[in-house]
Amino acid sequence: MSYPKECVLKDCEEVVIRPLEDGDETLLTDFFETIHENDRWCMRYDTTKPSTIKRWFDNLGSDSVFSIVTLCNDVIVGHGSLHTREFGATKHVGRFRIIVLPEFRNKRLGTWILLDLVRTAMDKGLEALRADLIAGMEDAAIEALRKFDFFKRAELKDYAVDPQGERHDMYIMVKRLHKGWSDF
Amino acid sequence: MISKSGWSPIQHEIILSTNAGNIRIRSFCRAGEIHGYAFDGEFGRHAQYRSLYTKKESLEQDAVREGVNVVLAIDPGGTIIGFGVLDYPEEGARWFDLGAGVMMELKVIEVCRRWRSAGVAAAIMNLMVAHETVDDMILYLVGYSWTWDLDGAEKTAQAYRKMLIDLFEPHGFQELQTNEPNICLKPENIFMARIGERIPEDMRNQFKWLRFGVSP
Repeated sequence: MSYPKECVLKDCEEVVIRPLEDGDETLLTDFFETIHENDRWCMRYDTTKPSTIKRWFDNLGSDSVFSIVTLCNDVIVGHGSLHTREFGATKHVGRFRIIVLPEFRNKRLGTWILLDLVRTAMDKGLEALRADLIAGMEDAAIEALRKFDFFKRAELKDYAVDPQGERHDMYIMVKRLHKGWSDF
Repeated sequence: MISKSGWSPIQHEIILSTNAGNIRIRSFCRAGEIHGYAFDGEFGRHAQYRSLYTKKESLEQDAVREGVNVVLAIDPGGTIIGFGVLDYPEEGARWFDLGAGVMMELKVIEVCRRWRSAGVAAAIMNLMVAHETVDDMILYLVGYSWTWDLDGAEKTAQAYRKMLIDLFEPHGFQELQTNEPNICLKPENIFMARIGERIPEDMRNQFKWLRFGVSP
């Protein structure tokens, strides 16, 4: 796919989507520092640790992770990553994560990032995309994915805990990617 | 004939040599000329695909409108085996809002199945964009995956999409984002545009905002 991609958000703010690249480390660190604890809690890794960010950059260009960032006036305002396995029973399934600065939510930025990841997944020949989301903490994301033809494949009751120790259900949301004929 | 933007189309012809004989590619074909050719029977219904144009009369109707560029590929026997149409967007379409005559849509490009992979589509494209006012316009195309002949091409939607990008990019088209609802229906759909070199900055911005349905 050709990058950078120019997008205009609902409020006419202009952003650019491009792959994460060497030299973005400070920008990405700054980005995650502004993300609320509850949002970071839902991620698999502690993004406030320099070692986490460093590992991402060490893995730049690997086949198993594809990261994109969205910039507005040279500041990262959104991040998306697609994770794939090179071997095994679920190598046809991609997992992804999207996180957007609070002030850039509800402006379709998440949608543009998701669309880019879906296209990347299709280019990689994946058959499905999966996202694990926590009910009560990520309801907006769950609703957004439903609009993108993701469906709730499974529900794990009281599986996740929030920072206060409260239990939440976890939804496994899946979207099938069609290689040939569209289901339109 | 003078077009909406005041230019006079000049008809061009190129000869494409193939193993099965020479193919004539002709631009700005008018209705009378189209009427004189046969229309290949492969432009029709197939098991998983239906051509966008199944009758040459559809091409004739396009050719009647001023400024529309109907490009034909004609085999040695005088049969249309490929065609392309560059047309103005209809009034009411989103892309008309930039002003009459500013944008033109690459409405269709098709080569019948047995002539594919012979360079016919690329030759049609050469004449679709080969005229003197192309740099004063924004040309665009929308690719809806449900109109693609995946069966005949034996490609996945993504591979077909890439093939289209490879066909149009050499002619200055680039993939652009838009929130146009029909295009957003499927991630494999594609929107591409070629912004003419003489398009002023303010119009480029208007086009950008139009793509996202906003007006600052």
